Amino acid sequence: MIGLLAALDAPTVVEAFGLGAVYSLMAVGIGLVFGVLRLVNFAYGQLVMVGAYTLAFTASWPVAASIVACYAVVVALSLAMDRAVFRPLRGESPAVMLVTTFAIAFVLQAVALLIDIRDDTIGEIASSIASFNQAITVAGVDVRKITIAAMVIAVVVLALLAVLLTRTTIGLHMRAAASDIGTARLLGVQADRVIGFAVLLSGLVAATVAVILTVQNPFVGPEFALRETIVVLVGVVVGGIDRLWTATLGGFAIGFATGLINGLLPTDKTVYLPSAVFALVILVLLLRPSGLFAWGRSTTVERV
Amino acid sequence: MAETVLELVSLEVRYGPVAAVRNLSFRVLEGEIVGLIGPNGAGKSTTLHAITGLVPASAGLVRLAGRPILGQPPERIARAGVALVPEGRRIFADFTVEENLRLGLAARRGRDGARSLDSAYELFPILQEFRRRPAGLLSGGQQQQLAIGRALVAQPRLLLLDEPSLGLGPTLVDNVFEALGRIRERGMTILLVEQRAQRTVALADRTYVLANGERRLRLGPADADDTDKLVAAYLG
Amino acid sequence: MQVVAPAALVVAVGIASSFVSGANEIYFLDALVSVAIVVAIYVFIGNSGVLSFGQISFVAVGAFIAGVMTVPLDSKAGVLPQLFPVLRDHTIGNVPSLLLATATGGVFAFLVGLPLMRLSGLAAGIATLAVLEITHNLLREWTKIGPGATTLSLVPETTGPLQATIGALVVVAVAFAYQRSRLGRMLRATREDAAAARGVGVNVHAQRLWAFTLSGALAAFSGALLVHELGSITTEQVYLELTFVTLAMLVVGGVSSLWGAVLGALVVSGVNSFLTEAEQGVDVGLTLDLPSGTRLILLGSLMALVLILRPAGLTGGRELRLSPPNIGSATRRRLSPRGD
Repeated sequence: MIGLLAALDAPTVVEAFGLGAVYSLMAVGIGLVFGVLRLVNFAYGQLVMVGAYTLAFTASWPVAASIVACYAVVVALSLAMDRAVFRPLRGESPAVMLVTTFAIAFVLQAVALLIDIRDDTIGEIASSIASFNQAITVAGVDVRKITIAAMVIAVVVLALLAVLLTRTTIGLHMRAAASDIGTARLLGVQADRVIGFAVLLSGLVAATVAVILTVQNPFVGPEFALRETIVVLVGVVVGGIDRLWTATLGGFAIGFATGLINGLLPTDKTVYLPSAVFALVILVLLLRPSGLFAWGRSTTVERV
Repeated sequence: MAETVLELVSLEVRYGPVAAVRNLSFRVLEGEIVGLIGPNGAGKSTTLHAITGLVPASAGLVRLAGRPILGQPPERIARAGVALVPEGRRIFADFTVEENLRLGLAARRGRDGARSLDSAYELFPILQEFRRRPAGLLSGGQQQQLAIGRALVAQPRLLLLDEPSLGLGPTLVDNVFEALGRIRERGMTILLVEQRAQRTVALADRTYVLANGERRLRLGPADADDTDKLVAAYLG
Repeated sequence: MQVVAPAALVVAVGIASSFVSGANEIYFLDALVSVAIVVAIYVFIGNSGVLSFGQISFVAVGAFIAGVMTVPLDSKAGVLPQLFPVLRDHTIGNVPSLLLATATGGVFAFLVGLPLMRLSGLAAGIATLAVLEITHNLLREWTKIGPGATTLSLVPETTGPLQATIGALVVVAVAFAYQRSRLGRMLRATREDAAAARGVGVNVHAQRLWAFTLSGALAAFSGALLVHELGSITTEQVYLELTFVTLAMLVVGGVSSLWGAVLGALVVSGVNSFLTEAEQGVDVGLTLDLPSGTRLILLGSLMALVLILRPAGLTGGRELRLSPPNIGSATRRRLSPRGD
């Protein structure tokens, strides 16, 4: 056991924290929309993908403008998704919503492929911001700048969200809508406004993740962030989807675990990382089906 | 001449082929308490749900101070000035007492929310004491006070209550009815749905008896001690 | 008879496939194999009401084991040198490969289902997704059981019109027999209201496990049909995209009925094939030439639209029945609100 832990060196642990940070952001984005709509957005990763493509297509612009464009496009797409897909689906069973957003995910990927392939190659490079992917040495440990940045950004974003949710009126309304939307509406909380705001926040987070991921991996293709979305979705359900903080923690946990397991596996076996992670996921789901961090709460989602 | 705050005209609410409320008409004038009593399944709660937009109505009209409100989404009706204290209270157990009250402000368009909260604290001092504690820690009677306070905070034109004494012991029931009296003294217009027929008839300016979705009888405070009349109204 | 309509349709497609030219034959074969896969998935999802993203794992297992075991012996050692000796040194025929696939799929599904069938709802969906991921990962990396990331080829193409039709009919017949049986009825009861079903003594876990195992066996059988149709297989062909397409077929047809599964598979397969042709330029009075990639867009949009506008699918989740002449349709609907 000690030998196993000794195999974890500092850079691995830091990278694991970095991965956990990015996944926790994606989890928050998914959790915000789930909270107010009870909808699991399988297509969330596609928002990140679109953000990455925007950065790639604006690679010739100044970096700041490129990033602003990324945010604008992703937020616009999020709001469009809400009007066109989420709104008509309100009240349907969780499985119908999951399968529909699954379909949307494929549609968006195919659209991206269509646009991308006009220059006969798949994939664009977001060259302007790739420069942030350099390594630096902090306290004798080699890490990439972007990993530190990811952790700092995640902490800042989550802290801002926490303040927003607990100290502002709109945050109070959002929490109420997530807890019991019927009673909230009865008290005058405007459902559409609250939902729109949650979708907006979710989009802003997706754009942030797009920037971070694109720096870490400047090669953007239609499957960008697809793997990560599946893993985060799994993490969110494992953590406990019905509360925002357990969902976020679940995202962080699966990211962190993935990073650690990656470091623990012998080099020739690292290809089996997905199997190891997902086997762990199944184990956790069997032991605690309503969520790893949910203390004895029964989940409200049930039937197909 | 007191203004008509609420007017129902031939309201009909159906659940599938069954009519839960049928041809219901009455009014509530400003500053009065109107009671709605009747046996289980009579359609009392359904009437409140139709007024507040929680269920659709199949026929009829509902007017708030002359403006039709039937069929609008619940949050619009709340913002128009209708506040419901729902059956079972439906408070947010994980939120603090103060947060629950602040949620009531969602229906208010004006500012000075703090003053609204203060008047609720004044009416129910226990809420002030527990203001930063999770609402789930309150007892049943205290939660009822919170639910009423939360509705009042919106400074509505019309206060609706759905069986506020449900599940409460005798002393607490007294408190509730006494509070309603004090609220009426402050000029509030109230529609009270209740199971406790006698107390409602005694408190309200007028009480209507609902059975099988229809209005059967109208009673006044003088009828409160007339047991035979009450029984006949329920069973008739 | 409710099995007549789906079975007749399958036979019709099968007959049609033997009359069309070689280039178009593949679309008909695709349709038939799709029916087999989708009905196999339906056996679990439709009867239990539990969402599973993992049924394609069993298709994968069936495809790979049937494929690996039928590669001609003289080429196998050269093409797949790292296989376990028991796999590398033996080769079996067409029908044995189908049976082997079915058995393997059944056993695998049973082992997976034993712990997993305790879950419902979102947890079940995610856990089965995890199974799909693990299966994909192992098949792709473990070169002792298969070709790994490379294409498995040289598989005998024994799924022609006859095998495809018979295969699809077998799956439809088994699915029908199951849903009419006592086991099937008990499971459908849990779909409506698990708590009530438990109350009358139905062992929910056991019933779901039966269906999951049967579904896995049928799915693996379909996978074997698939690999013998294509003559080759890769891990990516039995992964997320196939999961999406087959779920789309089931949903568009109507999740709760066998007729829905068959109809959905045929309709979507037809649309899919048409769009594939259109991407290469097709003549429908005027020439239709779609840019590549539009196929998935249209398919996904179709699926999303059906789910938004008619969540119960084309068939509304009902089986097709011949109407008795003297009962009105309203009465008939009230007498049989769902399936059977």
